[in-house]
Amino acid sequence: MYRIFTAAALAVAAATGNAGAQDFPNKPVQLMVAFPAGGSTDIGARIVASIAEKALGQPIVVVNKGGAGGQVGWTEMVRQRPDGHYIGYINLPATNTVILDPDRKAIFTEKDFTPIINHVLDPGVIWVKADSQYKTVQDLIDAAKKAPNTLRAATTGILSDDHLAILMTEEAAPGAVFRLVHLEGGAAQFKELMAGNIDVAFDNVGSIVPRVRSGEVRALAVMDDARSKFLPDVPTMKELGYPTVMSNSTRGIAGPKGMPAAVVGKLREVLKKAMDDPEHVSKLESQGLAIKVMIGDEYEKYFADTHAKAKKYTDWAKNRPQK
Amino acid sequence: MDTLQHLLTGLAAAASLQNLSFALIGCILGTLIGVLPGLGPAAGTAILIPLTFTLDPIGALIMLSAIYYGAMYGGTITSVLINVPGEAASVVTCFDGYQMAKQGRGGTALGIAAIGSFVGGIAATLALIVVAPPLARVALSFGPPEFFALMLVGLALITGLSGQSLLPALVMAVLGLLVALVGIDPVRGAPRFTFGVPSLYDGVGFIPVVMGLFGVAEILLTIEKPYRQVIKTNLSSLLPSRPEWRRALGAIGRGTGIGFFLGLIPGVGSIIPTFVAYVFEKRISKTPEQFGQGAIEGVAAPETANNAYANAAMIPLLTLGIPSSPTIAVLMGAFIINGLTPGPFLFKERPDLVWAVIASFMIGNVLLLVLNLPFVGLWARLLHLPYQYVCVGTLLFCVIGAYSLQQSVFDVGVMIACGIIGYGLRKVDLPIAPLVLGLILGPFIEKSLRTSLEMSGGDFSIFFTRPLCLGLLVIAAAVLAASMLRLPPPQLRESNP
Repeated sequence: MYRIFTAAALAVAAATGNAGAQDFPNKPVQLMVAFPAGGSTDIGARIVASIAEKALGQPIVVVNKGGAGGQVGWTEMVRQRPDGHYIGYINLPATNTVILDPDRKAIFTEKDFTPIINHVLDPGVIWVKADSQYKTVQDLIDAAKKAPNTLRAATTGILSDDHLAILMTEEAAPGAVFRLVHLEGGAAQFKELMAGNIDVAFDNVGSIVPRVRSGEVRALAVMDDARSKFLPDVPTMKELGYPTVMSNSTRGIAGPKGMPAAVVGKLREVLKKAMDDPEHVSKLESQGLAIKVMIGDEYEKYFADTHAKAKKYTDWAKNRPQK
Repeated sequence: MDTLQHLLTGLAAAASLQNLSFALIGCILGTLIGVLPGLGPAAGTAILIPLTFTLDPIGALIMLSAIYYGAMYGGTITSVLINVPGEAASVVTCFDGYQMAKQGRGGTALGIAAIGSFVGGIAATLALIVVAPPLARVALSFGPPEFFALMLVGLALITGLSGQSLLPALVMAVLGLLVALVGIDPVRGAPRFTFGVPSLYDGVGFIPVVMGLFGVAEILLTIEKPYRQVIKTNLSSLLPSRPEWRRALGAIGRGTGIGFFLGLIPGVGSIIPTFVAYVFEKRISKTPEQFGQGAIEGVAAPETANNAYANAAMIPLLTLGIPSSPTIAVLMGAFIINGLTPGPFLFKERPDLVWAVIASFMIGNVLLLVLNLPFVGLWARLLHLPYQYVCVGTLLFCVIGAYSLQQSVFDVGVMIACGIIGYGLRKVDLPIAPLVLGLILGPFIEKSLRTSLEMSGGDFSIFFTRPLCLGLLVIAAAVLAASMLRLPPPQLRESNP
């Protein structure tokens, strides 16, 4: 019903105004976040929106459409008119795995989005309780080889980047098998690890930096090709001899497919300027979020590569005996 | 020491002009709900949730909590002045309160009710401050299996104590759990029972459901009731005389104790403490024949117990994430909507928020005393509002509220459908409380069950090899077994949850 209203409103807008690129934007731009308010995607979105709207000349309104691991929001986005007035965050590889998991019955594919600009790249991290018997990644892998399927490893949800990261680790260390426990996110991981119900957690740097600094948890490795500036003492998996274990979660802005090139160009220009703004940089860094601007071919290629990689591990996850 | 520091920080946050005004607005709205017959605390809180959406989480929760205990407080006025309880927990107050009003002592009855509620509320909040942090620390060591067992205990208590025979209560609880299954599978991510309707992907919204089951259904039921005459009584002398004080003070003390301890047990509901306090006073009184004829203890004890219960019931919610009554379940839904799941982790993760809300209980009780003592005449005048306008106004507010949740007409439809269902359930005397509790606890029960099994690699023995978990499961079974043997007397039935 709501969609009928929206469609009707948009139709009226299209009929009355000239919806071409020249007069874009002619009304406020909605920036959809497929996760609830207060999460790290939302925090980043609000910071960018508040800066970019000054240059855009129209307000940028952050709309939270959380639910179903992002699927509700992305379903909403691909149904909008591709005139630039409705754009939103895509979270790779979560967007990819929603598309790839046949159980999800997603109504969209990777071709239904127009990637505009990437914003944040949050590398994966492996961490344990501060007093854990596992001091290094090698300790973990040895334990997972010695007694397969007993070491309890927490993800932040099925087919999340953290779930894929565990599979990458198993692939890089043949014989190691973790017992997967899918928790709802960083807070749940922290609680269960501290209570001793979980042995190791896979999450992203942005979620755990404050707890590493407070000494409550120990980060064992970052799954990136360079060390994180927020955790300079933590080695990368590459340094530890597992170069294929590369996992992260990126947050970028996209629109529905079929957006006019001029509109994409305008949005890209305004958003890039906002992301380079020192105010934006300092606010994001205080949240432990690493900025990684990617535009044009670079971002499109990144999207395609992530999709291919996510496909491989999604297929594996679906066929693994213990899901 | 740590607690004191947290509390002071909380008080500072709650006493900011902004949060103070949210508490005041909440108290006023809550009292209004209490005064308007037909709208109980659960309905009122549910209806007003959308109002708080634009606030920050602290402000929203302060306001909603204030609405909750304001409504528990406001029901007294109608009990005394028109012999109709504004909410179920004020049923007992009618016995002696209305008699006092007929004798021209209505002001005194309302005065002692306000003072008793204040004492009970403050004492229970102080006890909450002492008890909650250690309890939350213990609960923090609970893993998914223990939480699963704990939720079952909560559900068993609510089902067993719902006042009806066990079978219908159990059926309603299971129905609630089944409705909770609609939506995306929380672990596997596949849509279940959504029939291809995208609006159902996130499940059946809890807020539209409770707005319908409580709000709309109660309005429909109230329309059927005859209009009641407001009694003319003396509202100028609010403070009791010296001999009355002597009789009331002991009753207030005992009411506080009874209300507090019953508040700790999930499922007791808000009516039982008031009955227990009343019966207890009558039994120990030297003049039991005065009860029902306008005995001041008969007003002081249940009103005190009622408010002590209301504040104590926050303990299982905040420390364990277990709602004790449908109203608290609605409050829990409001917490979740604001991105905060009540439970032990909240104390660790958001102490600023928990303590600001707890501190606001103290402030709220003071505000309510002020609102109820000098301004009681004003509230009494509201009783003259023609109910047909109030009904239509409230229904309109429900529709706008349900739509504003996520600008979805679907939610409005869910609310109206649930209103009709709730009306029907009341007519055939099926309990709504277990249904609502099943609906809100369902996702948590499912999640902790499945996470437990992931932890054990699919082995069910995890529930029987952890001593705490096993103990809780035994309690849950015992509660259900006990409620099969014993039926509470009919006057304890919650006709108005």
